Amino acid sequence: MSLQALVNGLLLGGVYACVGIGFSLVWGVANVINLTHGALIMLGAYVTFWAYRLAGVDPFLCIPLAMAAMAVLGYVIQRCLVNYVVKTGVFMTLILTFGLQLVLIDSALFAFTGDYRSVTPTYSGAGLDVGGVIIPYIRIAIFAVGLLLTGLLHLFMTYTRTGNAIRATALNKEAAQLVGVNIGHIYAVTFALGAALAGAAGAMLSTLFAVTPVMGNPMLGKSFVIACLGGLGNMWGSLVGGLVLGIAETVGAGLIGPAFQQAISFGLLVLILAVRPEGIVGKKFFAEVKV
Amino acid sequence: MTPDPHSPFRNPQSAVPRRAVGRPLVLALGGVAAALLLPAVLTGYWVRVFATIFMFAALAQSLNIMAGFTGYADFGNTVFFGLGAYTTAVLTSKGGIPVLPAIIGGGLVGVTLASLMGLPLLRLRGHYFAIATIGVLEAAREIIANVPFFGGGLGITLPLFAGRPEVFYRFIYYILFAVFLAYTGIAWWLSRSKFGYALRAIKADEEAAAVMGIATTRYKIRAWRLSAFCTGLVGGIYAYWLNFIEPPMVFDIMISVKVWLILLLGGAGTVLGPIAGAAMLELLQAFIWGRLLRGHTLILGAVIALVVLFMPAGFMDLVRKRFSLAAVLADLRANKI
Repeated sequence: MSLQALVNGLLLGGVYACVGIGFSLVWGVANVINLTHGALIMLGAYVTFWAYRLAGVDPFLCIPLAMAAMAVLGYVIQRCLVNYVVKTGVFMTLILTFGLQLVLIDSALFAFTGDYRSVTPTYSGAGLDVGGVIIPYIRIAIFAVGLLLTGLLHLFMTYTRTGNAIRATALNKEAAQLVGVNIGHIYAVTFALGAALAGAAGAMLSTLFAVTPVMGNPMLGKSFVIACLGGLGNMWGSLVGGLVLGIAETVGAGLIGPAFQQAISFGLLVLILAVRPEGIVGKKFFAEVKV
Repeated sequence: MTPDPHSPFRNPQSAVPRRAVGRPLVLALGGVAAALLLPAVLTGYWVRVFATIFMFAALAQSLNIMAGFTGYADFGNTVFFGLGAYTTAVLTSKGGIPVLPAIIGGGLVGVTLASLMGLPLLRLRGHYFAIATIGVLEAAREIIANVPFFGGGLGITLPLFAGRPEVFYRFIYYILFAVFLAYTGIAWWLSRSKFGYALRAIKADEEAAAVMGIATTRYKIRAWRLSAFCTGLVGGIYAYWLNFIEPPMVFDIMISVKVWLILLLGGAGTVLGPIAGAAMLELLQAFIWGRLLRGHTLILGAVIALVVLFMPAGFMDLVRKRFSLAAVLADLRANKI
């Protein structure tokens, strides 16, 4: 196993951490499996693409814009649609968000066509050479932004009133309502946060992959794996889950063959669910795991 | 076995009304007779549409066993469909085995997988079980797609039916109709047998069911095996129908989604919900989608969202509410958080 493969895996893990954290948050707090996550990533990527194409904005500077746009969309989705379904059963929200995802992706297909688009800043392709190991600038920047966003989310959850209300809701919905938390609003804020993180991931992914209406679909699959590996709603867990998945995929592809990359990640998902459903670092705080 | 009228978990979710048997029986017999005569009067296109309706109704009925009666959200039940299709394809094209035994072999492979996965995965509940089954489906597709023996990404071609195409399509129509009838019989049996009561007790409250002396794990695994067998059989028929299969076609998560939507449209845990849902969805497809070049998934997504919002308990529930808008809106408001 070469050092380069390990570094590639770690950097890929940084990308995955960005992809999974918002998904994990919404699942852990609101008990909503947000299948629109991939579509939100895609829309974030399109926001970045158009800002880059029309105004020449650097994709990394576009992250706040993509986050803000997705947060608004996310708040509306949860407040106006998902909140009406949450009580009818855990599974209905899954189906509802699946329907919404189809609508979002097909609308994007109408609006932007299926053409492959790419965001190509001057530094794409360039990298740092450390003793023969190449570290692409973009991937290391994504890794850094992923760490930064995780840290900011941690601070938000720990030190703000809204963050505390979110944690209280995740812990016990009824008790949170008793002390005056408007859980309809808190669910929507949580969803907005998750959507904003998806937007950030999309903005950064636009520099790595082609931007198309279906680019979010594989990322949705990865989000499941990352969230389950890290433990639901566990913010630092998503980072660990992303890194584990990134390394497992890269190393596994080296050992068995690159064609089995997807099989490895889903096999890992089934394994972790069967053996340790609370995740690798999971402590039973955010999402109570029912086994 | 006659159900105990004082049983504490009598009929918790079932929509089977205990009315006089007369009229429903006449209607059922009329429906069966009409279905048997349809191919004689319809064009090939409509025979195909109705065969598809029966196929999806049969799949929804198989899922009904797990999701409707037992309350386990199997979102990856398409894995049994895909395995059934692949088993049939491999047995007929490489093993030279006749079609019908090969199709049954497809069901048995599903049973084997369900038995193997039962103990580790049926411990999970709610979302976790759903996600695990999705994981199994995706992993199975990737493995089949990358093993050369199964044809890899090239797929497998099955031996052709010896006879004229019209005869073949009628054969498929009748076999799918027979399978659908048999599965509806199973659902009817589940709605009134001891086994079915045990499953519905598990759905209502698994701990309580265990306390009442139901061996929940054993019953859940049995239910999953039955569901897997039924799904695998349909997968085998589908492979023979299309003569060619490839992994993305039969291990497609969209099949799961469609079957779920049918179950929701009709009403999970009811005997006739699946056929009502399948007919609605397929006819919608034939009449609306057939006229559109683009926007199919947009409409499908909107239909899914509307169904979940306005009729979360299915079409049968809407019938019971006599299509009252006020009742639907009151439910919607009551569900809001």
